[in-house]
Amino acid sequence: MAKALRSVLVTGASRGLGLGMARQLAGAGYRVITLARQQTKAVAEAMAETKRAKRGALHFVPFDLGEIDAIPELVKDLRKEFGPPFGLVNNAGIGHDGALAMMHNSQIEELIRINTLSPIVLTKYVVRSMMSERAGRIVNVASIIGFTGYSGLSVYAATKASMLGFTRSLAREVGRLGINVNAVAPGFVDTEMTHGLTGEQRAQVVRRSALRRLAEVSDIADAVEYLLSDKARNVSGTVLTVDAGATA
Amino acid sequence: MSIKLTIVDQMKQIAREHGKTLAPLSDDLVLLDSGLDSLGFAVLVARLEDTLGVDPFTTAEDAMFPVTLGDFVKVYENAAQQRAVA
Repeated sequence: MAKALRSVLVTGASRGLGLGMARQLAGAGYRVITLARQQTKAVAEAMAETKRAKRGALHFVPFDLGEIDAIPELVKDLRKEFGPPFGLVNNAGIGHDGALAMMHNSQIEELIRINTLSPIVLTKYVVRSMMSERAGRIVNVASIIGFTGYSGLSVYAATKASMLGFTRSLAREVGRLGINVNAVAPGFVDTEMTHGLTGEQRAQVVRRSALRRLAEVSDIADAVEYLLSDKARNVSGTVLTVDAGATA
Repeated sequence: MSIKLTIVDQMKQIAREHGKTLAPLSDDLVLLDSGLDSLGFAVLVARLEDTLGVDPFTTAEDAMFPVTLGDFVKVYENAAQQRAVA
């Protein structure tokens, strides 16, 4: 039998950035387990594509990451089915925007639950398996909004900044067990999440970027692939910004 | 193997792996003085979930902090008992 594939869990991989990462990581030879509420057509296509390529593997497990109480059981089940995970990519997130003064409290709470509480609790249970293996990689997908300002995204910014702090301290906590923890901070990328941006706003982001363009899904997927790879074995507790120079 | 023996066994193994020296493991040993640090206990709880099949710290309604080794063992014995009843 060929060498067992390294398993990587990618949350929120039914579309956008997560789907791009899942596809690319499977192509790089990982066994990718994607978690999302529902399987989209794009995921089914990516799974078929991976099967045809006969390299890596792509699985879909339906799960609502807002169901915090169900996370311990989920991780146990995943471990039983796919073995201990080598990597975890906390990508799932929502991007409600709005003036803080007008945001409904339930929306604020939902943002924090999905973007902060859920990945932290998921990491808690996944990192336990990694501890037993004394190896593992965690990549948190943050955002440049976690360290720069954008009007209308204050709560989203709070959740992303919290993941940056989480990344640094967890890296310190589990480093001596052979686990690397890093974050990727994408700039604006054309996905469903940023479709709310008007043409004028988009043009402004492009104009302010050093490279006069937007980063693409594949750029973010490259960064994640690097952080999971052996080449990044001595990289931990850092934030890799991929924004075409928007925050330079 | 009894739950207590399993726990003691794992503690010894983790201490070895982490290059720590364990204090004599009596029931009234205060966990903070055992020689394992918080990360050592995190590894212990993860391993015990594998071997005993329970994680009392997740299933409990509230956060709990056993102080002595005896308390810690009791938490696992109670969780195992509850599972047997359920």
